[in-house]
Amino acid sequence: MAPYKKMMLKADINKIYDDEYYSEQKIKDEKFFVRPSRQRKMKKTKWFSLGMGIDLPFCIIILVLLTIGTIMMFSASYAYSYYKNGDSYFYLLRQLMFVGLGLLGMAALSVFNYNKLHRIAPIILGIAYLCLMIVLILPSSDGVKRWIPLGLFNIQPSEIAKFGIILFFAHWGSKYYNKMQFARYSVIPGIAIFGSTALLLFLEPHYSGIVIIGMLTVLMLYIGGMKTKYLAVGLVALVGIVLLLAITGGLSYAMSRMDGWGQALEYTTEDMWQTTWQTRNSLYAIGSGGLWGLGLGQSRQKYLYLPEPQNDFIFAIVVEELGLIGAAMILLIFALLVWRGITLSLRAKDKFGKLLGIGLTSQIGIQVVLNILVITDWLPNTGISLPFFSYGGSSLIMLLAQMGIVLSISRTANIERQ
Amino acid sequence: MEKSNKSMNNSRKYAAKGPNQRLRQRTAILILLILIMGFGAAILRLSYLTLVQGKSLQESAVDQQLADTTISAKRGSIYDKNGKVLAESASVWQVVMAPVNFENDEQRKAVAEGLSEILDLEYEDVYEKTQQKSYYVIVKRKVEAEAREKILKFIDKLSEDYDCDGVINLLDDYKRYYPQNDLASCVIGFTGSDDQGLEGVEYQYDKYLAGTPGRIITAHNARGTDMPFQYEQNVDSEDGNNIYLTIDSTVQSICEKYMKQGIIENNVLNRGVCIAMDVNTGAILAMVTVDGYNLNDPYTLSAKDKQKISSQPKDKRAEAESAALSAMWRNKAITDTYMPGSVFKMCTASMALEEGVVDDTTRFYCSGSMKIADAKPIHCHNTAGHNSQSFVRAICNSCNPAFIQIGQLVGKDKFYQYYQGFGFSDKTGIDLPGEAEDTFWKDGKMNDVDFAVASFGQNFSITPIQMITASAAVANGGYVLQPYVVSKITDSKGNVVKSVEKKVKRQVISKETSDKMNEILAYNTATAGTTAGYVAGYKVAGKTGTSEKIGSKVQSSFSEDYIASFCGYAPADDPQIAMLVFFDTPSGDAYYGSQVSAPVFINIMTEVLPYLEIKAEYTENELEYVDSSAGDYVGLTVSEAKQAAESDGFTTTVKGEGDKVISQIPSVSSKIQTGGNIVLYTDDTSKSETIIVPNLVGYTPSEVNSVASAYGLNVSFMGATNAQGISTNQGISEGTSVSPGTVITVSFASSTTIND
Repeated sequence: MAPYKKMMLKADINKIYDDEYYSEQKIKDEKFFVRPSRQRKMKKTKWFSLGMGIDLPFCIIILVLLTIGTIMMFSASYAYSYYKNGDSYFYLLRQLMFVGLGLLGMAALSVFNYNKLHRIAPIILGIAYLCLMIVLILPSSDGVKRWIPLGLFNIQPSEIAKFGIILFFAHWGSKYYNKMQFARYSVIPGIAIFGSTALLLFLEPHYSGIVIIGMLTVLMLYIGGMKTKYLAVGLVALVGIVLLLAITGGLSYAMSRMDGWGQALEYTTEDMWQTTWQTRNSLYAIGSGGLWGLGLGQSRQKYLYLPEPQNDFIFAIVVEELGLIGAAMILLIFALLVWRGITLSLRAKDKFGKLLGIGLTSQIGIQVVLNILVITDWLPNTGISLPFFSYGGSSLIMLLAQMGIVLSISRTANIERQ
Repeated sequence: MEKSNKSMNNSRKYAAKGPNQRLRQRTAILILLILIMGFGAAILRLSYLTLVQGKSLQESAVDQQLADTTISAKRGSIYDKNGKVLAESASVWQVVMAPVNFENDEQRKAVAEGLSEILDLEYEDVYEKTQQKSYYVIVKRKVEAEAREKILKFIDKLSEDYDCDGVINLLDDYKRYYPQNDLASCVIGFTGSDDQGLEGVEYQYDKYLAGTPGRIITAHNARGTDMPFQYEQNVDSEDGNNIYLTIDSTVQSICEKYMKQGIIENNVLNRGVCIAMDVNTGAILAMVTVDGYNLNDPYTLSAKDKQKISSQPKDKRAEAESAALSAMWRNKAITDTYMPGSVFKMCTASMALEEGVVDDTTRFYCSGSMKIADAKPIHCHNTAGHNSQSFVRAICNSCNPAFIQIGQLVGKDKFYQYYQGFGFSDKTGIDLPGEAEDTFWKDGKMNDVDFAVASFGQNFSITPIQMITASAAVANGGYVLQPYVVSKITDSKGNVVKSVEKKVKRQVISKETSDKMNEILAYNTATAGTTAGYVAGYKVAGKTGTSEKIGSKVQSSFSEDYIASFCGYAPADDPQIAMLVFFDTPSGDAYYGSQVSAPVFINIMTEVLPYLEIKAEYTENELEYVDSSAGDYVGLTVSEAKQAAESDGFTTTVKGEGDKVISQIPSVSSKIQTGGNIVLYTDDTSKSETIIVPNLVGYTPSEVNSVASAYGLNVSFMGATNAQGISTNQGISEGTSVSPGTVITVSFASSTTIND
């Protein structure tokens, strides 16, 4: 550890945080949250954005998306809710409650020292595994086991697993930052954790969860420092398998097995026509929107044609009502969120924060992209919700909590600006 | 760590790629992937769907939103010439279900059970439908009012017992009814399950009849419960247009009656055709294909067909059944071709007259056969030969060698020109589906033998509708018309949408030639040698025809299969109606057109001509057998009644002891022969007396009259009641017990000198 001391003397403190593994002891020694004298000074100048403040633009983007999302969720669920529950405001009221809870959680976590997560990362991953196993033994009416009922709302173990995996690899990547180029520190744990999680999700079954967790694992390992060659090998293998399936005709078989993926508009059999009902009506909704949309609240497809319009397919109603223009603007805000989240995470003063912030923000970007590809029938209809828009208690609270962590990271990131 | 430091020391380049730098680079790549590729793909896909595919997707969406809530349009009615209903639509209902609204399996089972019972469906099938995740599943169509009531009650019950709402819905629909059942079945046609026309006028005029379905765009209708939202857009349905046919259902039913009789009497194997046409306009008054089928039940085969199919091996039955159905639906009058035979001679004769190659002085010699080139001699039906005969006699004799010579006088090229001129080489253009084309030598290139045979109507095929159109041209002054069955189309409010006018295609022969032909053909039926086709009181022009069916397997009892036809028109001096009677493959006692078709023609014309108010002019001889109507003598005293009956031209027989007449036979307005006997009953006991009906077939009219009088029966004379007429049929068969004075209808046909 001799070079470490030498460097610390010379280098700017931030640079050391970037490159070094920060042990618990060192966090205490270095006083993670700036020195008290400095902290006082910050409070005088600005509450948000600088010093101890959270990143204001990021926070505003979150609130903007949350507002638009809630309004659109209300519009989309209006008719469905009326029929299903005899009350058009049923989903809105519940969602508002979740928004409230979520914002509280977000605020709480934004002042929480995220470095405390460092130590408990493996424990949280363990809890995720436990939940994934518990859900499998719970009774289920239709054979699909994705939810653990918790009274007020249900929780989805896959949501916890996503967070657990991002957190764990942020922990792992910062701990072994200098060994990540070795397969036994990157590829092997990656395969072990992803494989076991995928197996549990497969039993639920929850294929979209597998896809997202697979992507998150690769993403975390990649930014953690895994050698590009392993990634390339993996990608080549994946492309190879897809090509092989395409050549042997297995791909179209797999596609038709995947609930008529890509076949929503062609009538083949009555069963398939029923199966692709939701996707087809999603396409009808999107197409009906055109460039300018039918106007807020004017969707026709939400009138019982598109089943459960407030869930995964909410964006189809958004396009129908607000058109391509409205959809593009919302996607732009999402893009700004991802951009801001990643760039602020890069400025975090420690490796753990960087990796964690990038992972959590990227997860939103990935979900948005996958969700839109699902509702436009470029990916099979597998249940990927749209962050900030889709109705759902546990996922919204979880999402806002994760945003709270990113905001917490943003507090340290802003030191650099001083 | 050490490795990393070593690298840093050794190479600045690698130092720049230290962990932090590498993270920045990789994050940049990550942003690139998510924001540019991911979001880019999403935007591209959304743009494609909204901008490129938007229109068609929106159409599909609107279609779906509308299709789910279509208000069926009422299909237009079909009327005959006089406004009698031939086809109409009545309200029925469609039962639909929105199975997504089921909350539990208990509800599904209750609905499946209830609906399967009310609608007479299989429980399993309905239960399967309740499990679909759809807002619109058709359970049963064309449900009538009775079942609808039950379903409405069932819906209430579901709501009370199972708290299950908005699952079952009833939509307005229409069902097609044909009040006349099988009348004119091959002309009218029928509709399919979606109310689309499948055959006949229903098919041909589908776009007029169908109307435009209305729409309600509303979520309310997608599900069927109350909807507080103002989201509704109504487009009323537009009922279909009504169609008036040129068909007169009275004429049609007269034709069908005698055609059916002809089929039975002659054991006709391949159905028969009768077409009646207004010669001056081309309007079809009747078009019969017997046996027809019940339009209300078009998928049920006749007992004969069913038997044929059940004798087939099992695996071929379905095929045989569909073949039998399509054969049954075929309108033989326009979709089948046949060799016209001697009937065609009226065309050949017209050509010769028009070309001026024959006149009254031209004579033809027939030795019984004629040899053309090196081929086998062509025989005349009269193998003894007609010797020397005039042009008119040649037609009356229907002499084949004479017509070969007439044809030769006309010449091959002219013959083909006239063939085309009469409209045989084109479809007639009648407004019915499935019209067939003729089969003739290509471009009229015949060798001498072909030409010789063609002169008398053999070895080429035409449709019955072409033949009658040509005969109308012979009759009406040479005008080839376009036949039609629809005269008028009106909208649902009665405004005329389309009115069909007569369409003259061309004049093929002159008025003079036409007049001459009318004279000759009337002479043919009335006087010369043959009298087939003669109708008492009318000048009828006509020509018989018997053609061989070549090339198919013989089915009939004869050595060959024949088509027996008769084509004629009346009155000959001012032609109004032309009629073709045609039987395919008779297999009874006779196969000649004069024996099989002419009597049917006579029977039909005897009833149709008076119905069309064409005035009869009887000869003295005929007048004897003209029917009169019995008066009303009931209630009068015996002497008063006797006096009244005698002044009406009848004789009387009084039965019983009473003073007053309490009933009479024949009853009021019955048609009986002039001078017939009225039996007057004065008490009830006398009524039990009966008479056994004697045989009245095979006699001349006067013989029939005297036999009937001897038995105390009355006769109503039908058909050829001149001196050459022979009775062919009696309305009440021999051996039946009847009351004295009962009227027996006796049909007469001209003597059966065969001159086809």
